[in-house]
Amino acid sequence: MDRENGGGERRPARTVAVTTARRAARPGALWGIVFGATIAASAVSYDSAFPTAASRISLTRIEGNTAFEALFGPIRRMDTVAGYTAYKSGMFLIVLAAIWGLLVATRQLRGEEDAGRWELFLSGRTTRGRAAFDAALGLGVGAMALWVPTFVLTAAAGASSRVGIGSGASAFLASSVAASALMFMAIGILASQLVPTRHDANLLGAAILAGSYLLRMVADADPRLAWIRWLGPIGWIEELRPLTGSRSLAFVPIAALVVACVAISVRLASRRDLGASALRARDSYRSRTFLLRGQAGLTLRLTRPVIVAWAAVLVATGLVFGLVVQAAGNALATSPGIQKVIARLGATSAGAAAYLGFVFVYAAALVAIAVASQISAIRNEEAAGHLDNLLVRPVARWRWLAVRLAVGAGFVLLASVLVGAAAWVGAASQHASLGLGRLLEAGLNVAPPAAFVLGIGALCFGLWPRWAIGVTYGVIVWSFLVEILAALVNSNHWLLDTSPFLHVTPAPAAAPDWRAGAWLVGLGSIAALAGVVSFVRRDLAGP
Amino acid sequence: MEMAIRTRGLSKTFGHTRALISLDLAVAPGEVIGYLGPNGAGKTTTLRLLLGLIRATAGRAEIFGTDCQEDPVAVHQRVAYVPGEVNLWPSLTGEETLHLLGRIQGNVDEAYRDELIERFGFDRSKKVRTYSKGNRQKLIVIAGLMSRADLLLLDEPTSGLDPLMERVFRDCVREARERGQTVFLSSHILAEVEAVCDRIAILRAGRLVEIGTLAEMRHLSALQVDATLDGSVPDLSRVPGVSAVQVEGNRLRCRVVGSMEPLVAALAQANVRHLVSTEPSLEELFLAYYGDESGPGADPDGS
Repeated sequence: MDRENGGGERRPARTVAVTTARRAARPGALWGIVFGATIAASAVSYDSAFPTAASRISLTRIEGNTAFEALFGPIRRMDTVAGYTAYKSGMFLIVLAAIWGLLVATRQLRGEEDAGRWELFLSGRTTRGRAAFDAALGLGVGAMALWVPTFVLTAAAGASSRVGIGSGASAFLASSVAASALMFMAIGILASQLVPTRHDANLLGAAILAGSYLLRMVADADPRLAWIRWLGPIGWIEELRPLTGSRSLAFVPIAALVVACVAISVRLASRRDLGASALRARDSYRSRTFLLRGQAGLTLRLTRPVIVAWAAVLVATGLVFGLVVQAAGNALATSPGIQKVIARLGATSAGAAAYLGFVFVYAAALVAIAVASQISAIRNEEAAGHLDNLLVRPVARWRWLAVRLAVGAGFVLLASVLVGAAAWVGAASQHASLGLGRLLEAGLNVAPPAAFVLGIGALCFGLWPRWAIGVTYGVIVWSFLVEILAALVNSNHWLLDTSPFLHVTPAPAAAPDWRAGAWLVGLGSIAALAGVVSFVRRDLAGP
Repeated sequence: MEMAIRTRGLSKTFGHTRALISLDLAVAPGEVIGYLGPNGAGKTTTLRLLLGLIRATAGRAEIFGTDCQEDPVAVHQRVAYVPGEVNLWPSLTGEETLHLLGRIQGNVDEAYRDELIERFGFDRSKKVRTYSKGNRQKLIVIAGLMSRADLLLLDEPTSGLDPLMERVFRDCVREARERGQTVFLSSHILAEVEAVCDRIAILRAGRLVEIGTLAEMRHLSALQVDATLDGSVPDLSRVPGVSAVQVEGNRLRCRVVGSMEPLVAALAQANVRHLVSTEPSLEELFLAYYGDESGPGADPDGS
């Protein structure tokens, strides 16, 4: 079936590779720009944040602190731009790259199959196995597209004499980030063969990512358990030590994982039926109708797996924050450099509370990302045509959107309480002197920025539905960049006002500023209301 | 009389494409009307306007006297809709889907629902994503018909159904009419429309070009005449009403609009041995309306 075509016509088998490459390269390049800009901003800001040798030496005191290492990876050479940059943005970008790789792979394989478009390819002159292999090649081009801007922007920033990161080190860093994307692309390709829907494939891949992150946390928490790092993909990336050692050995298991996943996927794809999965799904199901009494119940039923998964992630995060609170607090007390960074965010306390105030910024980002996933669920419900089934029946449009947003808002509240409570449980087990009330307050303090993101997402959904998902995640990415740039500019610079996260105080390191929180919630609510009004007045929009 | 459907100057433009141009339509309660048109003529656009899913660029539409754009919820309480393209939640089973849509729609005749499940031979225990196209269509047809709505809006409802199921569907539409329900059947399956509809509306490139009963349409359009003569065929070029004359030896084929009288008089001298006149089928009527224009002139956003 794959015979060579003698004419000038493009060989059909390559069509899959080219189409997939085209669809993966654009978002890949876009993320590469964000990644490169993040690394560059972090590198450039180091110099202005820590201008003196003394301030840099003080940073090194947290090196070897297992509490900080367990959270965001090993801390090395903090007195250099490279070491600081690797710690500040390394782990975050590696995880983002993994998530992107997973999502783009399941979209291009299982997603296309779910939508019935894959069979159009397969009806051409290709085979199931060949098409899966070509799709993998196309995704590889996407990973390359991620690599290029990451490298270019890092090297450009590194060329400055104040930064001094060589092009070799920049290329190695970009390769580490791209390798993370590539591995989870491969895992996504395999998951797409194993389970029957894209949704399930994403959950499977996310479970592998979470498990692998957990393994490296354990490994970094205790030097005697360092070997555990070699048991999972995120640990391998860590072993590459981008910017702080550039050790290539870990590329061996990374390459082996990618090759193995693709090889098994090609084999599974050629053996299984189109639309079926290697892990056999049941044919018939017992119907459970207890939630399906109306639109609100349907929303709960459809979003339940995602909400449960996010709740688990947030509880685990809060718990870990709490468990390491004593050790981290002690390290902080001896490092005025880090104290200064946290004080810049508005912290007034020191020690354990200051540490939690610092890491709760990450909890705020997680809750906001979880909420953004609600906006994308809302938009996908419309784009897939599922919404039509409700709106041709006696369901008012404003009511549908209001219920979805109410579920989103309820989720924000639940998520923030869970983070706070889990952090308290962790901290209490370490006999830290942080009360439940104070940590619940700190948890609730992360809710207003997420509520604001929800409102902006709803507004975009009402006005420009096809842009809603991109803009919502864009607000979060932008805020993250501003957070990094914060070190470069005056603390009252207008740029900082554009990030919702910088409008709340870093509780529990400072008392929550409920007034600012109320402003964010108020603005978010007005945006959401405007979104509902616009949605009622517009045409339903397909994909 | 309060009309089941009434539109006045209803128009919809997508960007530069005029999907529907000033539609004036009145459908009486209890009527079964066929809405015909080739792909892209504006059929689905009309239905989505009637359901309030998209906003009219101009004009207005009412269902049982209620404005479709202003109060869609009140409209939907009296309407059941069956789309041609089915996008249901893949993770729900057939039974869960029917339960949910029934709860939301209200007014479900449960005995009739079970009867429909039986008649369509539908297995409701599977997840929607595992159903074939035909089975998904059955599911959405059952979901539409199971409520005792006053008006059924059907958009190419039998796409994907096999001929046996198509027949079951036609029976259901006839039963709906007997119960007094109004049916608006958008389709391009002419036999289906011919079999169940009282009146037919024909749409072309966003405009309503004809509306009436099949008999009225036949009356207005040309008859086809085939004749065999003993002698040679006389010159018919000046005979009123006659067109498309084809002569082959002593055999004649032509089209006649209006009275047959002038043609019969003209042929009388040639000694007619055999003469057959045929009324056009709906297919011929349909093709006569579109002929060569159904392709490029059609818009991409319509149905």
